[in-house]
Amino acid sequence: MLRPAKAATRTSEAEFHAAPGAVEQVRYGCALGALLSVIAIPNAVPITHCGPGCAQKQFHALSGISGYQGGEFHVPSTNIGNREVIFGGADRLDELIDATLKVMEADLFVVQTGCIPGLVGDDVENVVARWRRRGAPLVFAETTGYRGNNFTGHEIIAKAIVDQFVGPSTAPKRARRVNVWSALPYQNPFWRGDLGELKRLLEGIGLEVAILFGPASDGVAEWKRIPEAAFNLVVSPWLGLGIARHLERSYDQPFLHLPRLPIGARATRAFLAQVAAFAGIEARVVEDFAAREEREHWLYLRDFSAFYSGCTSQYRLPSQVIVAGESAYALAVAGFMVEQLGLSPGAIVLTENPPESARDGIRAAFRNLAEGVDAEVVFAQDGPTVHRLIRDHDRHGEYPIVFGSTWEAGLAREIGAPLVEIGYPATDEVVLSRSHVGWRGALTLVEHVYTTVVRASTLG
Amino acid sequence: MAINLRTVEAETREQRLGTITQWDGSASQLAADSVATHGCGHARPGGRRLCETASPFSQASMCAEHIAVTNATIIRDSVVIQHSPIGCAASQSFTARYARDLAERRGWKPEDPHSVCSNLGEQDMVFGGVDRLAAAIREAFERHAPRVIFVATSCATGIIGDDVDGTARALEDELGIPVVTLHCEGFKSKHWSNGWDVIEHGILRKLVDRAPAKTDPDLLNVIHLGGPDVFTPLVAPLGLRVNLVMGGNTLERLAELSSAAATVTMCFVLSYLATGLEQEYGVPEIRAPLPYGLDATDAWLRDIARVTGREDRVEAVIAAERARIAPELATLREKLKGKKGFVAAGAAFAHGLIADLRELGVEVDGTFSFHHDPMTDSRDPRQDSLGHLIDTTGDVPNFTVSPDQHFQAHAALKRANPDFIVTRHTGAMASLAARMGIPVLPIFYSNDGLAYDGLLTIGRAILRTLPKKRFYADVAAHSSFPYSPAWLAETNPYAAPPERVRAEEPAC
Repeated sequence: MLRPAKAATRTSEAEFHAAPGAVEQVRYGCALGALLSVIAIPNAVPITHCGPGCAQKQFHALSGISGYQGGEFHVPSTNIGNREVIFGGADRLDELIDATLKVMEADLFVVQTGCIPGLVGDDVENVVARWRRRGAPLVFAETTGYRGNNFTGHEIIAKAIVDQFVGPSTAPKRARRVNVWSALPYQNPFWRGDLGELKRLLEGIGLEVAILFGPASDGVAEWKRIPEAAFNLVVSPWLGLGIARHLERSYDQPFLHLPRLPIGARATRAFLAQVAAFAGIEARVVEDFAAREEREHWLYLRDFSAFYSGCTSQYRLPSQVIVAGESAYALAVAGFMVEQLGLSPGAIVLTENPPESARDGIRAAFRNLAEGVDAEVVFAQDGPTVHRLIRDHDRHGEYPIVFGSTWEAGLAREIGAPLVEIGYPATDEVVLSRSHVGWRGALTLVEHVYTTVVRASTLG
Repeated sequence: MAINLRTVEAETREQRLGTITQWDGSASQLAADSVATHGCGHARPGGRRLCETASPFSQASMCAEHIAVTNATIIRDSVVIQHSPIGCAASQSFTARYARDLAERRGWKPEDPHSVCSNLGEQDMVFGGVDRLAAAIREAFERHAPRVIFVATSCATGIIGDDVDGTARALEDELGIPVVTLHCEGFKSKHWSNGWDVIEHGILRKLVDRAPAKTDPDLLNVIHLGGPDVFTPLVAPLGLRVNLVMGGNTLERLAELSSAAATVTMCFVLSYLATGLEQEYGVPEIRAPLPYGLDATDAWLRDIARVTGREDRVEAVIAAERARIAPELATLREKLKGKKGFVAAGAAFAHGLIADLRELGVEVDGTFSFHHDPMTDSRDPRQDSLGHLIDTTGDVPNFTVSPDQHFQAHAALKRANPDFIVTRHTGAMASLAARMGIPVLPIFYSNDGLAYDGLLTIGRAILRTLPKKRFYADVAAHSSFPYSPAWLAETNPYAAPPERVRAEEPAC
């Protein structure tokens, strides 16, 4: 029987340090913010043991106002007050869990802690263990706010669910089944559509896909079947690698790491070819699928080339791509704009404070975006620092376009560049199912980018 | 009990006013119990000791830090330091969005406000975070050249005991600008509205001109939650100028608070500042019931005129305003006949919205108040807004006090079954109602329902809202809530969590 490698409630494989210095224009949540990752699993509910505003703030910031992704907020919380700070909050949590199991219905509850229990020393693990012994579908993930951000919190909750809920498995592996670890739900406003399209692409080459988060997922039942996958697929520069390594140890599942979320024909073909090779799928299957997908794709791009070549437009079409955002989407979008549309890479500032150990790998992923074209990346979290790095980067003779967040509005105006919001916080975009992944997503991105460019020219 | 400005921390609402956050029953019982328990207001029959209800189940709510920081952030030429781990600063994005929207509505230059998180990590929890705080304050000063810096505490810094006041005082001397501490640890109070008291405490202590040269007889302080200025058209005919405070201000406006002829609030939840101004600077606080509905608005204007000495002009203003809105009001009443509304808002503001709806001829038999303050800081019975509502418009049979708890709101809405809801603090309530198929009128800018024009504003907004039933009904048909069948059927918000029928489980 295959068992989870070790109890992992506490540590993220990727070490986290609060970035030195104050942060203005915050671009991620705290570890407790990974409650959004729980909400992203259909039929899972977080139970939060934290102060009265913590969970709501994370939800409202990451979901409510970023892309107006919405969703229902009914997260149980102890709303810790004076009494629990002074006398300890374990009893109150116990009472809340009891009441939650009576009032709410879910297949899985993830108990998450915030800063206060970490500081006052509540023995939450023990409280949760008592309920688990009684058969309640409960796991504990320590997501102390001062110990991490919502990226590291995401890995913590995933490992907690694997270890404490999925557990040992005797199920045989299914040769074509894959677990996918990619976008960080809600942090990336396009995660729902992107994961859905990623699933469709992988199914297109004959895989059985556990996408694990979002509307395209079967939810908790899909998580239960994690051990049945033949392999794990990590589609992100670093996020999810810790989970994949943990699953490798737990269930003897190999993993394939492809840093770049594919946008556009070249990247998508390359992506599917690598997945197929790893999964033992014939190259011909990828070729057939790609040919079907690309027939319409190139017809649309062929017509767009009239606009792009200036036949129907007098606009200053961008020539240099500037990005301020998390590494995954920065890589995906910059890759597409450089490789497929022929832009040059400009300043690329990565803002999610990735672990030090992941940074060389991230830098490497930005090399050879197109044949012989490297992008140099820098890491910064603080808004004015991010903007200084962009301002100081050479853009002589270029028409820049900025892919970033709401925080880049002023900067984009200052350097005369249109702004496309691609990351948290995105308060000027309403996002439902929009996706940028694959062939179809590339067309959506082109539409969005060049509508923005035209409006910037005509509406000032 | 007087407001104590000598201490750095505002005393909590629970201590000062006996604020509760959980209760269910009739509004008349709540009003009677409040008077019987706290002795403020006119005695009412049947008053008992006010007992707060409790529920073992609770859902995530808001904290005082959120309110205090938001309202400090939108003060012009300020920088707010959130002395906290990174998560508390998640509010920066929506505060910035709010500030830009507010600027647009008030005709200011739209720009991002400045807020900085000291970004505390585990090491700081062990060794203390005051060095990071000092560095953050210096950095903020160099970057933005602010005229005031606010330092907001967090749960974490409250527990580890960082000396934020000592640091603030030292930096104040070093930089030569006010550094105002906001003690707003979320765990210290059970209700977010304490955040208003915290920021108002800071303004009273540090930003109001302590020795105004003279009183300006034409200046009326108006304390509001934020939004467009609906007050100037109302009081300008009386020869008064409005000093609109909270909801984004220049420091000059805050300084001149102490030289105004009087202060009025649009919601008694904000009256800490008004009472403080009267206590410390002798600026009289207008205590007439709030201007929701025609008669209350008349009385409110008369009281403003009385206190500022312009009774000769007020009757003409009232007559003109009433005549101006009468035709449309009649039309609105006709169109809204037979409709049932439901109000979800905070305390006095909820009472005001109910009065508006009833003035428009809308039936209201259920309400969700996010907290209940049995009295105000002035202890003046005229500020018993719930009692006033009952006396002038009748009882509300199902009056629920709940800090925006989604599961309780579900039960309350099921019980009320309204044609639409009006809600502020749109966190849980708005999306819940939508998914139950109930049209939602969200009140973001809370001056919408105020005075004569407020009746028209709210009436028109309801008429815009009702047709959206077509969307919400379809959404409801395709939505479910993760509650047990027993709770989904529940109509008592404070019913005990339903016992599950399940096999006997071994005790541990």
